[in-house]
Amino acid sequence: MDGQAKTILQRIIRKIPNKKLEVTLKSWDRLSTEQLESLDCTQPKWLFLENLISRCGEKRLGLKAVTKLEMVYYIDNPNQGTWQAFQLMEAEDDAVSVSFTQFRERFKANLEEDFRHISIRMKKLEDGAIWIRIAWGDNFRKPNHLKPTYVVHYLQTPYVFFLNFMSKHKPFLYEALFRATRHTSIKEAHLSGRSLTALRDLVMRQYQQVFPTKDRTLKERNGTPLHPNIEKEHAEYAERRHQMACEAFGDGILPKLERAVYKLETRYRGNSSNTLNDKDELFRGVVKFSSSNLLQSFHHCVATGIVEGPVTPLLSSITQKGKNYFVITDKVPGATH
Amino acid sequence: MALLTPYSKIPELNTATILLIENEERFQTKLADAIVQQEKDVNVNVRLARKLPLPLENGDSRPRVDLVVFVVSLRSERSLQAVESSLNYLASDYYLGKVCFVVTDARCGTLAQERMLRVRRLAASHHCPVLCAEHQTEEGIAMAAMRLLTILKVSAGLSPMATTALYLSSLTRCAAAPELDDD
Repeated sequence: MDGQAKTILQRIIRKIPNKKLEVTLKSWDRLSTEQLESLDCTQPKWLFLENLISRCGEKRLGLKAVTKLEMVYYIDNPNQGTWQAFQLMEAEDDAVSVSFTQFRERFKANLEEDFRHISIRMKKLEDGAIWIRIAWGDNFRKPNHLKPTYVVHYLQTPYVFFLNFMSKHKPFLYEALFRATRHTSIKEAHLSGRSLTALRDLVMRQYQQVFPTKDRTLKERNGTPLHPNIEKEHAEYAERRHQMACEAFGDGILPKLERAVYKLETRYRGNSSNTLNDKDELFRGVVKFSSSNLLQSFHHCVATGIVEGPVTPLLSSITQKGKNYFVITDKVPGATH
Repeated sequence: MALLTPYSKIPELNTATILLIENEERFQTKLADAIVQQEKDVNVNVRLARKLPLPLENGDSRPRVDLVVFVVSLRSERSLQAVESSLNYLASDYYLGKVCFVVTDARCGTLAQERMLRVRRLAASHHCPVLCAEHQTEEGIAMAAMRLLTILKVSAGLSPMATTALYLSSLTRCAAAPELDDD
């Protein structure tokens, strides 16, 4: 094992919490069962690392195996940074029939054409996700494995998710994606967050959605029935609010979105203060919402009546448009409504 | 304006009805359970509401309400505001001993003290009693339920002794704090 591989291995091992070491090494699938058993995950990290390096030496594992270990860890624990969602546009006719093999070959060929030194790993998971790890180099330098970019794409969907994405690599990556997926343009989906699964669920609508229905039946939501002598005066009203919350934000377990940002580029309307009421200047501001589960919080606020309905389209468009970054501008400059 | 009136319906035999009003709907269900489970002799009906006025469509099925309880959480300003606006929807007959305030979260912070004063002033101006209740423990809820039941029995005319709601309220009503006496 050479120096570079050792440094990267050290970085990865440092990142993985002790209790996850064993599982990760097992799914790495590069060490034999005896070797795994001989490793003690409760040891201090530096000692563990030394033992691990010697085991890797026995197996003659190199840089490639180490990068695989990192990828295995990221796949199991994707909450390692801020993921950004992008949407591919203008599909060509054969976009629907791209297979994984085709995708891999085209993607790799394209990037390897542009860079003499680049390291690309690709893996397709059972749920259809293609995970790509790219360590960038250039014509003179070896690939930098310390700052790899991760790309996750689901075949036949227009969505791509990026992690650790640098703008100088943007055109090359876009080009490779266009060739591989047979699309011709891409745009930012204005959606980002730590939880990759939440982003995916949000854009692909993989949560329990509720649609407006005409025949509203009062269903028993919470299992504990009330004592016959207790009656709720506002039961129907509460049911309506719950329905409204579900229609806006979904029901059941909601995607774990952590923030929503609204950038205001509107004019101040109101007659309280003359200094703010400058008709020519925009009243700029940023409104941020953050919570450990933002959609759940909004849902709760509406369902319990803390916020009066109906839900403003500004909030419900988080789920409807799959965005969490909005720029709000006046429709007609200077107009009031 | 749909006023809630205490004497527009005929009372039922051996039955008392209590209306719990809480904007947050957190404490009221637990309190309601405790009330119906504690009382064995009298048939107690509990109605839960967020605020007044009550929905018109329930008007026919609703029995005569003998005691209206406003639950105020001192943690939230909204809770108090909702109660303030609800008071206008009660007929004045209720204020003769058939209204009572229950205050929760009275232990937290300085802000709560300010609101507590406002609740007391509100109660004093309407000649109503104020009870402080603990909503986080079982015992606290049971105790609050017991105290409410005692008042309920009097206001529903079920008390064996010749006590009336009017008489009881003159004894239990909240006196404003001394510095508020001037109003």
